[in-house]
Amino acid sequence: MIEPITSPRVDLTKAVRLGAIAGVTAIFIASIGMVEVFDTRSVIDPILSLGYLSLAWIPILFGYRVTFQPVLEGMEAPRKGPHNLIGGAAAGIVGGAMMGAFLLLIDAFDVRGILLNVTPDLVEIIGFEQSAIVGATILVALGGVLGAAGGGFHLLSDLWRRSVTSAFVWILIIGFVELVLGNVFKGVGLRFLDDVVFSDNRGVTAGAAAVIAVSVIVLHVRFAGKASAARQRYLALPEAKRRSTGFIVATSMMAVGLVIPSVFGPFLNEVLATVGLFMLMGLGLNIVVGYAGLLDLGYVAFFAVGAYTAAVFTSPLTPGDFSPELAFFSALPFVIIMAAIAGIIVGTPVIRMRGDYLAIVTLAFGEIARLVFQADWLKGTFGGAQGILRIGEGQIVTLFGYVLVAVGVVVSLIGFLRWRFARADQDDSSAKVAGVWIGFGTVATVVGLLFPGFASWTVTGIDSEAVFRLVLIFVALAAFVSWRLQDSRIGRAWMAMREDEQVAETMGINVVTSKLLAFVIGAILAAVGGALFAVKIGTIFPSSFKIVQSIIILVVVIVGGIGSLRGVAVGALVLIGVLGGPTQPGMLREFQEFKLLIYGVLLVYMMLQRPEGLAPSARRTRELHGDELKQDVWLGKGEEGEA
Amino acid sequence: MALLEIKGLKKQFGGLLALGGVDFHIAEGEIVSVIGPNGAGKTTFFNVISGMFAPDEGEIIFDGRDVSGLTPDQINRRGISRTFQNVRLFQNMTILENVMVAQHSHTHKGVFPALFQTPGFRKEEREIRERAREVLGFFGTRLVGYRFDQPAFTLSYANRRRLEIARAMATQPRLLLLDEPTAGMNPSETAELTGLITKLRDERGFTIVVIEHEMKVVRDVSDRVVVLDHGVQIAEGTYDQVSTNEDVIEAYLGRPAEAH
Repeated sequence: MIEPITSPRVDLTKAVRLGAIAGVTAIFIASIGMVEVFDTRSVIDPILSLGYLSLAWIPILFGYRVTFQPVLEGMEAPRKGPHNLIGGAAAGIVGGAMMGAFLLLIDAFDVRGILLNVTPDLVEIIGFEQSAIVGATILVALGGVLGAAGGGFHLLSDLWRRSVTSAFVWILIIGFVELVLGNVFKGVGLRFLDDVVFSDNRGVTAGAAAVIAVSVIVLHVRFAGKASAARQRYLALPEAKRRSTGFIVATSMMAVGLVIPSVFGPFLNEVLATVGLFMLMGLGLNIVVGYAGLLDLGYVAFFAVGAYTAAVFTSPLTPGDFSPELAFFSALPFVIIMAAIAGIIVGTPVIRMRGDYLAIVTLAFGEIARLVFQADWLKGTFGGAQGILRIGEGQIVTLFGYVLVAVGVVVSLIGFLRWRFARADQDDSSAKVAGVWIGFGTVATVVGLLFPGFASWTVTGIDSEAVFRLVLIFVALAAFVSWRLQDSRIGRAWMAMREDEQVAETMGINVVTSKLLAFVIGAILAAVGGALFAVKIGTIFPSSFKIVQSIIILVVVIVGGIGSLRGVAVGALVLIGVLGGPTQPGMLREFQEFKLLIYGVLLVYMMLQRPEGLAPSARRTRELHGDELKQDVWLGKGEEGEA
Repeated sequence: MALLEIKGLKKQFGGLLALGGVDFHIAEGEIVSVIGPNGAGKTTFFNVISGMFAPDEGEIIFDGRDVSGLTPDQINRRGISRTFQNVRLFQNMTILENVMVAQHSHTHKGVFPALFQTPGFRKEEREIRERAREVLGFFGTRLVGYRFDQPAFTLSYANRRRLEIARAMATQPRLLLLDEPTAGMNPSETAELTGLITKLRDERGFTIVVIEHEMKVVRDVSDRVVVLDHGVQIAEGTYDQVSTNEDVIEAYLGRPAEAH
């Protein structure tokens, strides 16, 4: 073969190595049954099903990686050329060949005794409904083509690469939120759009996909660089202004969140309520792990305490004699008190522990909590393995309108006080903030008074729409608490403790009380989450409070971005909303079985590639990429260097 | 009366006797240098005074009360603050936050005032911020303006040392323990800091114990010099007395050959 002199040689060893990894990945995905389950759902109808997509991304990604070179400061840009295509194709062919061999193997021998999910249907799917040998040939060829396509990505300019990627991502996203969009279309009376955009098997139609792709690419080319420029401008705003913008955005999203359940179906509201619960617990854990730096793996214990307290106080069917049968909101203070006590009980013995030791001991506490609730010893109170039934009698009665009026009046009053205070200081920016408070307070009051229907708002556990609204209110409260504490004397003390506990202590910070406070506040938020969970489900068993709950909440926080409120919201939406909670389904019901696998893969990927999370706090990004920042400073790229 | 009086301070790590019965005293407004060869126990001495290690034996009497065995934060609240030999800032907090957080024990607003941003809370926050700026202002043009909102790790080495002193000052102590404040600084920075140490006493009224290797600094700032070697005090006096003391020279340079 004649190679152009300008093109670097293809690193065949690397191509084969990556191809082999691709092959193993593909075989793994096929043999755990993912392909078969996903095949029922289409992505672009009738071209691509989710099943094929679960394999197709592999040669593309690995084909891309073969000739990938990181762009480093001071190095010449990697050269483009046929070697990109050849390398990609080589990796793809190797991967395809392994897959083909796998196909021949499962066609010839029955391996179902070992690999349960290798069904005749799977053979059909990956063999393209042809004979095994033809299927294998197609796999090799397709591997080569997709690999070359992946490698060919290097030939595109940055702008086009990004446009094409995001066009595809948007098609995927729109396909994934089919349920949401479908319901919204129905809700606003545009039912026909649903038929135009989505096919029967829940994918985007080919025509709609083309329209989406073209519009995304056009938008990208048209607004190239504008988005990042806007972002830069936003970051250049003074801190106070950024904060108030953030506050307004959060409040508007909250308002949208309150309205939107009416257009969603019950299933989506159920999903959203679960997302909200995990957001609430994520916010609590974020205080413990993100702010105070205490790795608590037994967080589920507090969730359980909240759920059981709510159960005992509200259910008419408590196992023991103690059965006050309170309404949810009357039980809430007891939930908070019990959570605070639990926080102190768990917190006190582990105060002097750090890092891994703390993690292990809290892990044990999480398990102890479940065993205590399950124990025969306390069966008279908590019902042992049979749990507690009819919690909250399926009813959480709230007087939402009155609550809204009360909150509105309080907010307006605080705003008024702050305004007077600011006027005395002649502090214009605080006066504006006070104005915003008064504004929101007034609006809340008026809405509360205008809609008397809200006034006798009755929430039942099965009314997912109302449950979601209720959860959302608590999420907003938790976010508010985190937001306010972050920038206070206590928040600073937590931060200092996380940075260097010994020094923090020498600087006069009482680490014992600071840690306990973090534990207690985290515990209260988790317990409120637990109480909501209990009344939502109406029945609780000890088995609802397994360690995996703690782990998933932690994954939500880590994937979203430790220490960042936005991060927790994004993490919960992406993980719980799309994939589903530990037992609850998410929007992609097909993912249910493979949820933990995907969580794990995502976590590993995030740790390697983006440890600061999807929506990180500025501080955390600095922390994890501090060395790069220093490098930039050294190269004269960043801010001015040393004095 | 002595502000700090230490009697028979002992600290042992396994078989190593880090402090073998040190007696020490410092009067209000004095600047005392602690010198000695590497491994003499100087930093351990600071660690024990500041409460990071509990002493095995001995008394630490600060302002008339025994503080040995108290936790570091309790000792800090009594009025002893310190810096560290290997600069231990809160790297990812901003410069201003580093100094703000050091005022923790002098401020009181807890969770609820923070949640509702009560006028009291806002007043306290403003005071903390102002005091932080004021303390940083002590270092003149070195730590000013736009730098306040940058994370501490972006600072140069000399500025990190300055910030650490500012942080210690912000805890409003009576006694400052400075552990090698000029280590790693160039000669002009060292000279500047020498002046600042004296200013810390003259203008701010701190009593200062300083561990130092740079003899010029020791000579310029100290009212009195204490020499430690192998965990015991081997000499004490003015710089001139100590620098000509035979035991001290021996500790630093070894026994002269003809003495054998």
